Amino acid sequence: MYKFKLCISIIFFSLLLVGTSIIKNETRDLEKKIDNLNEHIVSKEKDLNETQLDFFYLTSPYVLEQRIQNLDINIYIPMKHSNIFLSFLSFVELQNKFVIQEIQNEKKIQKR
Amino acid sequence: MRKKYKKDKNPNKNQTSFYFEDYLETNKKIRFSRKKNFLQDRVYLLFFLFFTLILIFSLRIVHISLNKLEVSNQSNSSKKFTLLRRDIVDRNGELISRNIQSFHAAINPKLIKNKENFLINLRLNFPNIQKEKIENQIKKGKYFYLKKRINQQEKEKLWNLGHKAIIFEPFQSRIYTHANLFSHIIGQVDFDNYGISGIEKYFDKELKNRDLLSEPLEITLDVNLQYLINKELNKALTTFNSTGAGALLMDVKTGEILSLVSLPNFDINKRANVKDKKYLNKITKGVYELGSIFKTFTVALALENKIVSPKTIIHDIPRSIKCSKHNISDIKEFPRNLSVEDILIRSSNIGTLLIARKIGEKKFKKFIEDANLLETPEFQLEEVGSPISFNWNKCKLETVSFGHGITTTPLQATSIYASLTNGGNIIQPTLIKRKFNKTNKKLISKSTSENINKILRKVVTDKNGTASLANIDGYYVGGKTGTSQNYQNKKDNLNTFISIFPSQKPKYALLVMLENPKVAKDLVYNYRGSKIKASRNEAGWNSVYVAGKIIEKIGPILAIKSEDFNYQYVVEKTN
Repeated sequence: MYKFKLCISIIFFSLLLVGTSIIKNETRDLEKKIDNLNEHIVSKEKDLNETQLDFFYLTSPYVLEQRIQNLDINIYIPMKHSNIFLSFLSFVELQNKFVIQEIQNEKKIQKR
Repeated sequence: MRKKYKKDKNPNKNQTSFYFEDYLETNKKIRFSRKKNFLQDRVYLLFFLFFTLILIFSLRIVHISLNKLEVSNQSNSSKKFTLLRRDIVDRNGELISRNIQSFHAAINPKLIKNKENFLINLRLNFPNIQKEKIENQIKKGKYFYLKKRINQQEKEKLWNLGHKAIIFEPFQSRIYTHANLFSHIIGQVDFDNYGISGIEKYFDKELKNRDLLSEPLEITLDVNLQYLINKELNKALTTFNSTGAGALLMDVKTGEILSLVSLPNFDINKRANVKDKKYLNKITKGVYELGSIFKTFTVALALENKIVSPKTIIHDIPRSIKCSKHNISDIKEFPRNLSVEDILIRSSNIGTLLIARKIGEKKFKKFIEDANLLETPEFQLEEVGSPISFNWNKCKLETVSFGHGITTTPLQATSIYASLTNGGNIIQPTLIKRKFNKTNKKLISKSTSENINKILRKVVTDKNGTASLANIDGYYVGGKTGTSQNYQNKKDNLNTFISIFPSQKPKYALLVMLENPKVAKDLVYNYRGSKIKASRNEAGWNSVYVAGKIIEKIGPILAIKSEDFNYQYVVEKTN
């Protein structure tokens, strides 16, 4: 009985010992991976930061205007208020008015 | 059954007694069992100890695995670039300022093996370096700075030299992505990360708050509007040969400032010590007599107190009035009988003076107190001017009524115009978004505000109005011009135009100010359908013109971005 208990204790103890060392090694490997990933994240964050700065500078109104002047032939003028429609319905209404006016003009021309 | 013990007839002398033999036997057994128990106990104790250690270890592993990653990230904190200051962004999230990692280049002379070779290499790559100065410093043998705040190119050049003696000291530098655009508002920081002017100084603690380092500080300015207004004002400086200019665009309901420009400005990335007065923030720090702008206040007060109505005719307006030593007159000849709204439309000094006399000094003083015209305004910048105080002498009411003898900052003047036109609610100008900006105080009633809006619109549309050049189609601009002279030097003048649009239900107030403008001889105006050249140096021919150009450019942006137009289609008409 005593030997049985002793055997079981030793087996259980060995299993725990082996298991602990396996877990410990796995944990150490995981920590190394986490460290590596963190280094990658830090360098990516740095790259993102620099890219963001470049983006904000290159999309600033001054730089965009310079590029448009250098690369494009068209001259851009401010949009007239009459060209801004606050809803699709108001655009359609105006177009309908143009169409009706055109039809009336055509009828007048035909009568003549 | 008891054993029968027979007496031994021939006792063996060597034989031990039965009792002692038994004792030894049992004693041995007892000892053996005791030993066995001790052994067992030791085994169990060891087992227990190891089990406890393993249990502690396992619990620790579980604890680490369940905890947040920050626990494991702490070891990498030395490599990570941690911000010391928050970003500043505009109302649309566009970056205005940010801390970046920068370097100082230093030299440790003790690590230089061949000094001559080192100096030659430095000179080859940096021809502008003062060779003798560096040679002396190397001879001293002490650690010194070759150059502070080096840029990326310089760093790469020095790095490529491959000398151990060149050391790069990291530090955090503040950069401003828009250079000159926000120079008067954002301000600067010193090398130790302390704000020394502008928003950087006012919000220094909030910007360094460690709990909020990842959240940018959002201000109400708009980069695009700021750029457009800045560009138009710069054009105006050359067109009208002005010494300075300023503009302010404000939301009349909330007091949020969408744009604040003061010219000339400077590049805040250069970290120059700016002392010249011409670089003063004219909108917040400049204190001026704004002139005829004040006539709107007089008329509003008269309407509010129901002394007059917009159509009330003021009869027998004299050409000039003498008050103490002052001889007050108008620049132009006006009809003798004018309605109240005509007095404002034509900008008659005498007419306004007569209205002010009907109001009385007491009510006028109260209005000025309610509007905080003579107090230093509360604003999120330290560079704020204080109006000059004065005594209410014999003719003070008369002169103050049309804007002479009273000074204020353009910021305060615009805020009061916003309060007059938004239904009469007093607003406080702000650079930071607030949920509610209504102070629950009223300057005038809603009906008076509506009347004022109508009159201001007529200043722009009426043939006798002084601001026709700001009548931009679709924006229903209303406003008031102001032309004032410097008493010490009559050649110096300040031309101002405060506009509100759309005048039926104002959303924005725009102030445009030109310092010492001249007549633009080459400029051809499109004045009420005809092409003419200006001959007078008045606000109606310069500040109003510039304001019109600004509204033309910023109008579509404001129309599209306004909350009323969200979730609706905006369609461009194509021909």
